[in-house]
Amino acid sequence: MLEIEGVDAFYGDLQALWAISLHVDEGELVALIGPNGAGKTTTLHVISGLLPPRSGSIRFRDRDLTRERPDRIVAMGISQVPEGGRVFTGMSVLENLELGAFLPAARRCKAESLKRVFSIFPRLEERKNQRAGTLSGGERQMLAIARALMSRPTLLLLDEPSFGLAPLLVEQMFAMITEINAQGVTILLVEQNVRAALELSHRAYVIENGRIVGEGSGTGLLSFESVRRAYLG
Amino acid sequence: MLVPLAQNVVSGILVGALYGLAAVGLSLTFGVTKFLNVAHGELLMLGGYASFWAFTTLGIDPFLTLPSTVVFMVLIGTLLYKLLFSRMVKLTEDVKVKNTMLIAFGLSLILQNVALRLWTADDRSITTSYSGVALSVLGVRLPVVRLASLVVAFVCLMALHLFLQRTYTGKAIRATVEDWAAATLVGIDIHRVYLESFILGALLAGVAGALVSVGYSIVPTMGLEWTLIALIVMVLGGLGSIMGTFVGGIILGVTQSVTSYFAGGTYREVVGLLIFLLVLVFRPQGLFGTKQG
Amino acid sequence: MSTKAVAPLAFLVALALLAAFPQVVRAGNIVNLGCLVLLYIALASSWNILGGYTGQTNLGHAAFFGLGTLATRLLWLSGKPLWLSLLASGGLAVAFALLIGLPAFRLRGAYFAIGTLALAQILYLTVGNVLPMLSALPTEVLATYQLAPRYYLFLGVAALAVATSYLLANSRLGLGMMAVREEEDAAESLGVSALKHKLVALTASAFLAGLAGGSFAYYHVGYYPQLPFSPVWTFDTVMIAYIGGTGTIVGPIVGAAFFVIVKEYLALKLVDLHLIVFGILFIIVVLFLPGGLADVWTRLQQALAGRPKKLAVAAARHGAASDRPGE
Repeated sequence: MLEIEGVDAFYGDLQALWAISLHVDEGELVALIGPNGAGKTTTLHVISGLLPPRSGSIRFRDRDLTRERPDRIVAMGISQVPEGGRVFTGMSVLENLELGAFLPAARRCKAESLKRVFSIFPRLEERKNQRAGTLSGGERQMLAIARALMSRPTLLLLDEPSFGLAPLLVEQMFAMITEINAQGVTILLVEQNVRAALELSHRAYVIENGRIVGEGSGTGLLSFESVRRAYLG
Repeated sequence: MLVPLAQNVVSGILVGALYGLAAVGLSLTFGVTKFLNVAHGELLMLGGYASFWAFTTLGIDPFLTLPSTVVFMVLIGTLLYKLLFSRMVKLTEDVKVKNTMLIAFGLSLILQNVALRLWTADDRSITTSYSGVALSVLGVRLPVVRLASLVVAFVCLMALHLFLQRTYTGKAIRATVEDWAAATLVGIDIHRVYLESFILGALLAGVAGALVSVGYSIVPTMGLEWTLIALIVMVLGGLGSIMGTFVGGIILGVTQSVTSYFAGGTYREVVGLLIFLLVLVFRPQGLFGTKQG
Repeated sequence: MSTKAVAPLAFLVALALLAAFPQVVRAGNIVNLGCLVLLYIALASSWNILGGYTGQTNLGHAAFFGLGTLATRLLWLSGKPLWLSLLASGGLAVAFALLIGLPAFRLRGAYFAIGTLALAQILYLTVGNVLPMLSALPTEVLATYQLAPRYYLFLGVAALAVATSYLLANSRLGLGMMAVREEEDAAESLGVSALKHKLVALTASAFLAGLAGGSFAYYHVGYYPQLPFSPVWTFDTVMIAYIGGTGTIVGPIVGAAFFVIVKEYLALKLVDLHLIVFGILFIIVVLFLPGGLADVWTRLQQALAGRPKKLAVAAARHGAASDRPGE
């Protein structure tokens, strides 16, 4: 479904990604793991069109989206929940969700999407008229994911959804992510919580210093020396 | 002594409403796009002349031609944005602010001199059948034209507020101001938001200009004065608050009037500029500015 | 001949030619045009030191110019020697610059620009209120008025402005100024005091503009004291600097000549058309030709010489797009 081939990305004159290649098939939950600063977020930015790659290609369902505008990429069915969620704190929960359904196609199904999203995240329905800025960290993260779901994506990109959450919430978060995947949304998950990421995912890529250094299925990657030593407890 | 002073304060409020209206347009554009359009005063001037032209050529009342003035300004705004400012979207903020300021400066020269060719350097004003009519409240004279302008200005700002709060486009604009990247990730087209904000700014300037042409007077060289006023009030009111900016306009209007009463008319503009400098240096967020923008 | 020697040599040659000009060309109105060109060279070069090399867009330049006119007009017409009056002009402008410099430099970028504009407007309006009467040369001065000395004074000030720009640009101070222009925060972290460099540039800029003002006061027969403070002087100066090419020595010179000649030519036909033309040119320069006419000339030279050279500096300076959109 998603094919990334030989992508190089730069911030100004600073190279951040070297020949990144990975693929995500329909229905999969694929994880991208690696240490801080390895280029995980950068990879997601490139997919979402926030950072145009210097070379390489990105194909989604046989459409080339290498140099597309970010808002067009959303229209194609890829939605990202950025690091930290980045909800619109000055607006209410409901307004955030409505904005998630900004695109015309999504707007038409807004009522239905809201129902679906509230069934996955009932807490949000309780707080729907509250200003997003007054929500707790965990609730904001939920809101961010819910907002991304409002555009009815076929591919959901998650950037460290568990970051900064209390352990119990982390468990809930991952349960919800599994549920979302089970409902048919393909997911590319960037995580620092390696154990959880490997348990949840069908497959995972390991990225270090801007390069993909390994690929394998969840438990299979535990044999990776660096994965085991560097990231596990 | 009280009545002349009260008269002055009232005059200040009446003109201050227009100051506020002019400033909100600039504030909205700048807050969203970070384009420092110093030709804002010239856009105001264009609105005034559009209104004036419709009145003198077609005989239609300036309050009735407000909708057509709005349409005119939307077209002008779109044209100027696509032609000049759209290339500035991708720049870093500092450069964006400075370069758009320079471009707008060039634009102001062009617009000013085009207006000079078309309408000469004479002051123009729209005089309707009711231009001389005034209410009298406790000895204070309230010209109906200026009262109506106050109402129109207020209504416009209320409409703008509702637009930003209730419509999808308005919310998209607010979202963009708050978090550009997150906005684009929900599918908001930033270029479109920039265009819409610029048009809104031009539109509000044009309406203000139309009201100035009927309540006061217009002249091709009025641009600089009104751009400075808009800048002063924008900074005084602070970014992010429509009502705050409107109140800022009233504050400036009243301060100018009162200064003129006590120190003579020649210092009215100076006091505004002094306030501006003080706020810029010591309280850059203005009186009512919100964190965003 | 080394490239280092070319510029000073060209300067001296040009100086000699310009000095001979009024002796050769007798027509008063042409010499007058020459005076205007030289005046604008002085104004644009002085502005360029702060605006072009140090990157601080000062929209209050007319204030220095105006203060210069006040000092000389007052002192010279009350009998003081001209050289003293001119010195006072420069000094007054510098005093004002230092007074407002520290608070003004708390503002950055466009805020500095509109702040200086507001400041100059305050002066403009105040002078208009305090000195509303026309300032005319008394008859005994008029009787002995000659254009040539005025021309030479303008030439001297213009030459001083250009020379100062050149010396600064090629000095350590100049490097610091340009560092402040490019990346102020980065420069600070490397130990370059941004404030110090800005103040030095401001002082030089003000002094030279003050001298230009003094020359104007010596030259103009009758004007309202408010006139030299008008923002039009600043705007003309800024346009000349940009169209000619900011941050270059040649830019202000080329821009000034271009400005006066085109203005003369267009003024003969239609009154204010030249401003529309300049407005358009200005926009074109900002959008497409960041180095102005000076850059166009350089590119032509290179195209003819067949040597491709990276013009990244000019482009980068005027805002190449960031790779992080919207940042």
